[in-house]
Amino acid sequence: MSAVESQSADAKAATSSARSRAIKSLDIGGLILTLITVIFAVLWAFPIYWGMVTSLKPESQVISDTVEFLPRTWSFEAYWHVMVNTMIGRWYVNSLVTSLGVTAITLVTSALTAYALSQLRFPGRTVLWFLILASFMVPLTALIVNHFILMAQLSLINTWMGVILPQLIHPVVIIVYKNFFDSVPKEYREAAKMDSASEWRIFSRIYLPMNWGVTTALSIVIFIGAWNNFLWPFLAVSRPEMMNVAVGITQVNDAFGVQYARELAGAMMAAMLVAVLYLIFQRRVTQAIMLSAGVKG
Amino acid sequence: MSDIVLKDVSKSFGAVSVLDRVSMRIESGEFIVFLGPSGCGKSTLLRMIAGLEEVTEGEIHLGGRRVDQLPPNERGVAMVFQNYALYPHMTVRNNMSFGLQNVGTPKVEIIQRVNDAARMLEIEHLLDRKPAQLSGGQRQRVAIGRAIVRDPKAFLLDEPLSNLDAGLRVRTRLELAQLHHRIKATMIFVTHDQTEAMTLATRIVVMNNRQIEQIGTPMEVYSRPATRFVAGFVGSPAMNFVPIKSITDVGGNASISFAGQPPIHTAVPFGGLPKNNLTLGIRAEAARISQDGSGIEGVVDVVERLGERTLVYCRLPDQTTLVAEDNGVSAIQPGDAVRIALDGNVAMIFDEAGKAYHAVVQQGG
Ligand SMILES: Nc1ncnc2c1ncn2[C@@H]1O[C@H](COP(=O)(O)OP(=O)(O)OP(=O)(O)O)[C@@H](O)[C@H]1O
Ligand SMILES: [Mg+2]
Repeated sequence: MSAVESQSADAKAATSSARSRAIKSLDIGGLILTLITVIFAVLWAFPIYWGMVTSLKPESQVISDTVEFLPRTWSFEAYWHVMVNTMIGRWYVNSLVTSLGVTAITLVTSALTAYALSQLRFPGRTVLWFLILASFMVPLTALIVNHFILMAQLSLINTWMGVILPQLIHPVVIIVYKNFFDSVPKEYREAAKMDSASEWRIFSRIYLPMNWGVTTALSIVIFIGAWNNFLWPFLAVSRPEMMNVAVGITQVNDAFGVQYARELAGAMMAAMLVAVLYLIFQRRVTQAIMLSAGVKG
Repeated sequence: MSDIVLKDVSKSFGAVSVLDRVSMRIESGEFIVFLGPSGCGKSTLLRMIAGLEEVTEGEIHLGGRRVDQLPPNERGVAMVFQNYALYPHMTVRNNMSFGLQNVGTPKVEIIQRVNDAARMLEIEHLLDRKPAQLSGGQRQRVAIGRAIVRDPKAFLLDEPLSNLDAGLRVRTRLELAQLHHRIKATMIFVTHDQTEAMTLATRIVVMNNRQIEQIGTPMEVYSRPATRFVAGFVGSPAMNFVPIKSITDVGGNASISFAGQPPIHTAVPFGGLPKNNLTLGIRAEAARISQDGSGIEGVVDVVERLGERTLVYCRLPDQTTLVAEDNGVSAIQPGDAVRIALDGNVAMIFDEAGKAYHAVVQQGG
């Protein structure tokens, strides 16, 4: 692990020195590229900025004849309203519980499955592996009606478990883990075997810790995905107190007509946690997306 | 009690046979070196003893118990891997403790044993570091430490020195010899470096082409190689092989001659020698540049000055190359015509199949 860290420290030093060199020899081409990048960044970020500004306006100023880039009067009324008059606290809890549940269960089951596929020899291993690869080809939305019927039969509609279960299907996580476990040199496994380690110990004390980086990266991506998931949590829950944030904020709209500031305040609050998480773990998220993209590509 | 017996052990990977009916007996406390060219099956044989590779046929006994069907951890052997395979995320202490923890050794005892081993190997100050923070030599010690704490019946080492630079290699070789002397455990050491084999081994197992060519002490393997392969593989520079034109019986021993050269009297008994397609084997140190004009003729091709001696690569009239030795201070130049005195007493003769014929052993020799 620390080898990796020192490597990335080296890389950082290298990029920063490369950057200072680049600044010295700033050329026209680079300038144009930078400008284009900035323009795209602004275009991309503007809706977010606009949403944030709007959520901070009093409802009466939201619709006006002029374009106002900053609120004339700053107001937290919309936020206050969402917090007091909706169940956003409860929705947050629901989102947290179901997203963490999805993340934890997916990681544990996928890592174990991947370990078995990668390291153990058992009858049916190849068939299982191909089934997983095949399931990768089926879009989850194609199964959503089946999921609904199944959850209904299990009386799990309007429960956390009902929200969690169908979201646990993540073949790509198994594939990523398997690739990493495959690339651990076999001497470690052999050394552990000579050290009397059971399969469970080899998995939990050698293979998993040797791949912590993958686990954190995957966990962030799964968590953010589950948090932002709308369709299934929307179908699986009809009682407001069981809703996730993403589903719940649509209720702000329903209950009070189109109230842009309030609606956007709800959206901002829903997105906040993910945004903060993303800012903290930016590098890991990119890494994880590249990992799974590498698998898909 | 920790002797190792291999009985007709064979190994195939699929249809490819890698080892063919290998048998040997290793006494408790021996330092055995498996020596042979790359791909001859040394690692495979070692891994079969460790239990990391299944035995296709044959039996392995360890300390009187048949072990070839047992999992690695039940055989009581420890292995040091070529790349050490230290768990990168664990400290040195945890690396060394892991095996003991797995079998439920009490904590106090683990700490005791790890500390003892660390003191013996002088790695106490490294116990809290991770493998990435160690030098190659230190990693090597930790790998050995990890083996020692388990107090195994036998240590299996697969080219443990090959990742070290030349100087460290020599030092570690010495330390390994001292360690063996101190703990008196059975050790099996795989290498294709003949210097390591010569310096470390109580006995060398020379392997080639799926089989054991010879098992013997370093000096036996050097002075009385069983086959032409062993003769050529052990020793540097490699032994000279010169085709024999004819042999005659002189007082019971073979006297040989090359094309157009004076005869050489060897100490190899004449009886029992096949008569055709024989080759003389003689080491450079027994082929001296002659000062008095006797010996066979040759022309110098290349001169290698090693300081304490000089190697002279000569071309004989039949175009065979023969490496002879001269003193460290030597005036010989390429192109010189020289005469080479061959010491027939230490020469050996090989038949067509490569089997060696030696002088009769003198007492104590
Ligand atoms: N898992 C395997 N599957 C198929 N063939 C193998 C396998 N492991 C080894 N071999 C073959 O067995 C032969 C012996 O290999 P081995 O590793 O024992 O050689 P070695 O003497 O240790 O060589 P080196 O000095 O290069 O380490 C080689 O020809 C190798 O290609
Ligand atoms: Mg090998």
